[in-house]
Amino acid sequence: MSQPPDHQGPSYKLPSPPPPDPTGWLELRRKARATFWPPRPVAWAGLLALAVAAAGLHGLWFLGSLPGRLPSPTDWKAVAALVARDARPGDAVALSPAWAERAREILPERLPNRPDVALPLLALSSYAEADEDLSGVRRVWLVSLPGAPGASPRIARQLASRSEASEGPLQVGRLDLTRYDLRSPLLPLHSFTERLASASIQNPGGRVVRETREVDLLPRTCIVVSFPGPRPEPATLAFQAVPLGRALRGHLGLVGDVSAGAPSVSLRVKVDGLEMGRAEARAARPGWSAFQIDTARISGQTRQVTLEVVPSGSLPRGVCIDLMSLP
Amino acid sequence: MKLRNGIATAWAAGLLLAAATTSPTVGISRDESVYVEAGASYARFWREALRSPGRVLELADHHYAWNHEHPGLAKGIFGATRSLLSGVLGWTGEVQGSRYGAFLFAALLALVLALWGFDLAGPLGGALAPALFFLVPRHFHHARSAVLDLPVSALWLATTYAFWRSTSASRGRLSTAGWAMATGLLLGAALATKHNAFFLPPVLLAAWLLGSIRGRKGEAAGRAEGGGPWAFAAMAVLGPLVLVASWPWLWHHTLPRIRDWLGYHLHHENYPWMYFGELLREPPFPASYPFVITALTVPAAIGVAMLGGVAQAGGRIVAAWRGRATSVSLPTEWLLLLNAAVPIAIIAWPTVPHFGGVKHWMPAMPFLALLAARALVTAGQLLSPRRPAIVTGVLAALALAPAAWQVVRTHPFGTAAWNEVAGGAPGAASMGMQRQFWGDDLVAVLPALNAHAVPGARIWFQEATTLAVKQHQRDGKLRPDFVVASSPEDADVSIWQYHQEFRDREFRTWTEFRTARPVAGAYLDEVPLVQVYARPGAWR
Repeated sequence: MSQPPDHQGPSYKLPSPPPPDPTGWLELRRKARATFWPPRPVAWAGLLALAVAAAGLHGLWFLGSLPGRLPSPTDWKAVAALVARDARPGDAVALSPAWAERAREILPERLPNRPDVALPLLALSSYAEADEDLSGVRRVWLVSLPGAPGASPRIARQLASRSEASEGPLQVGRLDLTRYDLRSPLLPLHSFTERLASASIQNPGGRVVRETREVDLLPRTCIVVSFPGPRPEPATLAFQAVPLGRALRGHLGLVGDVSAGAPSVSLRVKVDGLEMGRAEARAARPGWSAFQIDTARISGQTRQVTLEVVPSGSLPRGVCIDLMSLP
Repeated sequence: MKLRNGIATAWAAGLLLAAATTSPTVGISRDESVYVEAGASYARFWREALRSPGRVLELADHHYAWNHEHPGLAKGIFGATRSLLSGVLGWTGEVQGSRYGAFLFAALLALVLALWGFDLAGPLGGALAPALFFLVPRHFHHARSAVLDLPVSALWLATTYAFWRSTSASRGRLSTAGWAMATGLLLGAALATKHNAFFLPPVLLAAWLLGSIRGRKGEAAGRAEGGGPWAFAAMAVLGPLVLVASWPWLWHHTLPRIRDWLGYHLHHENYPWMYFGELLREPPFPASYPFVITALTVPAAIGVAMLGGVAQAGGRIVAAWRGRATSVSLPTEWLLLLNAAVPIAIIAWPTVPHFGGVKHWMPAMPFLALLAARALVTAGQLLSPRRPAIVTGVLAALALAPAAWQVVRTHPFGTAAWNEVAGGAPGAASMGMQRQFWGDDLVAVLPALNAHAVPGARIWFQEATTLAVKQHQRDGKLRPDFVVASSPEDADVSIWQYHQEFRDREFRTWTEFRTARPVAGAYLDEVPLVQVYARPGAWR
């Protein structure tokens, strides 16, 4: 079939001039696109081969290099010897990464020259001032595995930020040892946890003991108040002649793996029978919750402090409470 | 055909040998301790039932009451091999005797992988597919325990293979009806092993329907010309029959007991599980879980090859749909792809309990291994048409060498195996992942206990069951004078197996023993898996 004649005649359009390409980049891109798109099977095969080869070589490198990134038994023993020689009362050991708890098996648990003094080993996930008080600790020995996969300088930075001086890192094989002298160590006037034996306690059907228990996956040495019965009554812990300073500072949390429906616990702190503050531990927000009660206006005095622990239901594992009086 | 069968037989025999020689150093998990005893009880049933056929229902109620939340076939086979090897011949201990039953399933899995790999991609495909599955450290770990996940994976694969052959022109010695019957029998065996086999028929149906849409014409090698319906009929009839026949617990009160069995799994409790520093306790669980855990536990190069295989299958389906690839068998591609995806997708569902590492979606992994093997072979053919075997061989070596190294390095701590992407066990611990689970790593501290614990020590074994402790004692791996304690407070020696959700028990030990210093431990690349605490005077 023939087309009707176009009375206006044929029209011509000049092609637009190619964009300026002084670097040759556009031309290179055009050629690359012509070569690789649409991708041919051999290009996919090449890509797969490249990826498999790269992943395989990386795997071999990783496995080959891993032993050289981790400490040997000799490294651990050398660090233990250094800490045992130089540690003094008020010191603690921190681990980075926190999972490197082989240290517990090797490092001294007490000062060799002062067996009555403990050398706490901390395996905390954070050492930021906002997260951990590090009460009673003046200096921290940080044992780190800098070459371990997943190792991070975060813990060292957190400790450095709250220290006035540091020494190290001293490289001991594949371990690093650094000492941090805390700028403002939190040294309590009075620890309720340590003085639990002197308290008069009322907890019908439950227990009140000083224990190390798990709160939010970490060990906390605290007063554990448990409520095993179905309709538990509040517990009362009265401490006589407590020296007070600027504040009462404490933490509390539910013990162990807590299901979402677990009861909550309310803690009321009374000084000479007058409620000064309260805190709450709830399953919906598990964790080691901090609270602080201002006692500045009665600072320097000695008073009776009473803790009232009120559960909303049965709590066989209990609640973990740590409280201290700050100077 | 000779080469094909030779490769498959060599793989089955090699795997049997590798599992048998390395499993004595693998510990006993909580599940395994129960299945081993259940298997022994089931074996007693068959012996007594043969002697007193009139009491068969009473005997079934008695002997099959053990662990009736799972069907009886695989555990029955564990019991049979234990009776033969440990009881009659006296060649092995009780646990090792039971494990030979599991090795048979692992050998079946290797055999079918090799056969199907050969059918899909030739001799190299047949040689590679089992390697790509069994050199994943967690898979090889599961191949050496008398538990149910690898057996059900083997039977899932075998059922699918029989189904594929029943819908294929290259049926070998069996007719369509023969392969259809085999499909039904194998599905019954899978159902009689673990409940997740119930998901298999819908997957086969979906693959068959999708393959039917455009797959009936233009099939290469005459594949997939029908026969599917026969297999479905066989599955519908033979599957339930085999399930009931092989599980005497169902020989009376059949429907109520089936209802109880399935009800138990429909309302299975959620075990707390660590995932990126969070304890997963209650649904909804993250849908990413099975994908992320797979990516962090399958050796990376194998994972890349598996991804390549999935992409290749997807590409072939798209090409066939567009009419560009007449040689592609759409039913085969859908069968491989859906079987590789659905078991993972089921666990990804946010209300399905998330725990237990890779084992709950293990039925997908043989299909990913098949796809990976075919992808590597295809890559070799495309990159070097003259010498494809060399390129495929080099790629396979690069994929498998680090994997084999990981298998050796993580032995016997299979549940603690993490790949190089995770950074191994240290990297996974830094990320806050589950370090290990269910008690089998206890085996690493048994020599220290035997050497140092005082005579008659009361030991709290935490995650290991009392059954497992007794099995270790009967098999001569643990001193018989030790007594199982009920808690750290009741113990002289406390064994803490690292489960973040149970850490309170470790700290209770510190309080009770007045020390936080372990006396021994088991570590994988410095990561603590097990730590042993002792009261003063209880450790020599």
